[in-house]
Amino acid sequence: MTLLGIAWRNIRQRSLTSSLTVFSLALGVGLVVATLITGGIVRQAFESGTGLGYNMIVGAKGSPLQLVLNSVYYISRPIENISWEFYSEFLPASRRSDGEDGDFAASVAVAVPICMGDYYRGYRVIGTNADLFGKLQRSRGRSFEFADGRNLEDASFFEAVLGASVAAETGLRVGDAIKPTHGADDGPEHDPFVVVGVVAATDTPIDRGVFVNMEGFYLQEGHAKPLDDDDEEAATAVVASSEQTDGPAPLPEAQREVTSILVKTASLPGLPPELTSMGMRSVINEGSDGQAVLPIGEIRQLLDLFVWPLERLLLLITVLVVIVSAVGILVSMVGSSLERTRDVAIMRALGARRSHVLLTVLLEAVLLAGCGGFAGWALGHLVVGAIGPWIATNAGVSASVLSAAPGAELLLVPFLMVLAVAAGLLPAIVAYRTDVARWLQRGG
Amino acid sequence: MADAVIQLERVQKAFRTPAGEIVPILDVDRFEVAAGEQVALEGHSGSGKTTLLNVIAGIMRPDAGSVVLDGVDLARLPEAARDRVRADRLGLVFQQFNLLPGFTAIENVLVAMAFSSVRPDRSRAEALLASVGLAHRLSHKPAALSVGEQQRVAVARALANRPRVILADEPTASVDPGHQQQVVDLLKQTCEQENVALVVVTHTPEVAEQFSRRVRIESFNRVLQQLAKPGSVAEGGDA
Repeated sequence: MTLLGIAWRNIRQRSLTSSLTVFSLALGVGLVVATLITGGIVRQAFESGTGLGYNMIVGAKGSPLQLVLNSVYYISRPIENISWEFYSEFLPASRRSDGEDGDFAASVAVAVPICMGDYYRGYRVIGTNADLFGKLQRSRGRSFEFADGRNLEDASFFEAVLGASVAAETGLRVGDAIKPTHGADDGPEHDPFVVVGVVAATDTPIDRGVFVNMEGFYLQEGHAKPLDDDDEEAATAVVASSEQTDGPAPLPEAQREVTSILVKTASLPGLPPELTSMGMRSVINEGSDGQAVLPIGEIRQLLDLFVWPLERLLLLITVLVVIVSAVGILVSMVGSSLERTRDVAIMRALGARRSHVLLTVLLEAVLLAGCGGFAGWALGHLVVGAIGPWIATNAGVSASVLSAAPGAELLLVPFLMVLAVAAGLLPAIVAYRTDVARWLQRGG
Repeated sequence: MADAVIQLERVQKAFRTPAGEIVPILDVDRFEVAAGEQVALEGHSGSGKTTLLNVIAGIMRPDAGSVVLDGVDLARLPEAARDRVRADRLGLVFQQFNLLPGFTAIENVLVAMAFSSVRPDRSRAEALLASVGLAHRLSHKPAALSVGEQQRVAVARALANRPRVILADEPTASVDPGHQQQVVDLLKQTCEQENVALVVVTHTPEVAEQFSRRVRIESFNRVLQQLAKPGSVAEGGDA
């Protein structure tokens, strides 16, 4: 029988106390693991927004942060819509009904419209065009790829493309039809859209989006802007790029709105793109049609002011919880030290050296911490799996039992061992100092 | 004595009371036990028997003199070395048996092996328990064993590391009179089989008279002799 075996026997001998200690530690560690994982996921999700394929978002006037949360992460409510006329100012002549370049067209490389307001089984449905996946890049110069099928085609109004997580979690495949609901999950159903592609995983909020052809989106109940008398004439104007050979006619421009525009600015002659975007932002923000925000700045601010401090605060609280749990080990072991004294005296009489006794008690603490740590680790992952849907809704990223924060979770091992040794030290010293002769005189 | 496994020479041991008073307990000029010998050590309560056993076992260090156990002078060794000698060369049987309650019968025997320089040997532990009639009780914890069975486990544990000496402190004190004889027989027979010297401390004459050599502690402990002299004040340590 080894010292480890003796330590394990001692733990089993005090099974109730040991179980309660392990349970208490498991709760603390579970909390830490869940916090580390969710914190890591949320941080990673927000950081993924810093590698966007566009450098400006244009939307209705209001909170810049809300515009970013809504347009980049598909969380929070849209502020308001902006007019199609304003959106057209970002388009080149070839894509406008009047055949003239928009005011900002020269400064724009790509302008992708985003329309929101519909849902499919808890996921945001985003009305857009083929440029989102065709002309924008997913991050840091990498193009979007399709795990299955293809991109949207502007001329096919009722097509949909799914993010990787949506496809994985719903089981939808190319060829399946989906019916988005209006305004909420339990809202009225729209016409069906046929899935034509599944975007390969990007580890960005794109994975959790359902993207439908904007033209089909406009034709759904409640999506057309009511017309004023003055708009009757304009109602005949139709978007240049939205003609399809058969099927319903596209919605007239006057009845269209977009939620926001993802803009990749072009370099003006002699100016770097950053300066172009700064100048364009100033012009837009001085006007009354909408606002322009630079998402990276907003995301950095969000991370600096909110995500990182909150993550650190949560981590601090949970570390304190673990320390309290470690104190539980100490209390449990000190509490059983009277009972232990007899066992220690017997072992010492049998020839155990003080170092054996010290090591055995420390091993007990380490074993308790190990059991509590492992149970807590499993509990933490289960918690993340359980709150995964909530994280998805509120942070726009997927989380499951298998989500992990490998570096931080590995660091828990030495942290727990140090805590265990610290907690076991006092009872170990008490055991170390057990006076065998005095106990034998009393006992025998 | 040429083949002595226990040799005490000019051993003195005293305790300090909380009041700071020095109370002598042992003053032994010479005490020896030969290899394989079986000795009954008699004495009244407080006569220093347990202190003597603790000194022989290396649990206590004498204030003066030498305590040679199987050729090793324990009085010159540091505590850790005395522990090692005790684990390797000595078996102890206590009055209360002192089995570890959370451990099974065989684990109680294996625990003793864990501290010696010999590798824990499960088959030897099983053989020892079988030799004391407990082959069918290996996986029972002390609470599930009768008093007699517990004492047999304690004897098997004392023999675990093939000791040269077994010290038994009042081994029959917790056993009802009907079982006292069984305990004495068990100790004597197993020590004889294993050629182990046996020192049994007892204040029960019926137990002592079963040993060929009976020694009263008063016969060699000069502290008690001094106390017995006319006019001296009777003092006894908690020993």
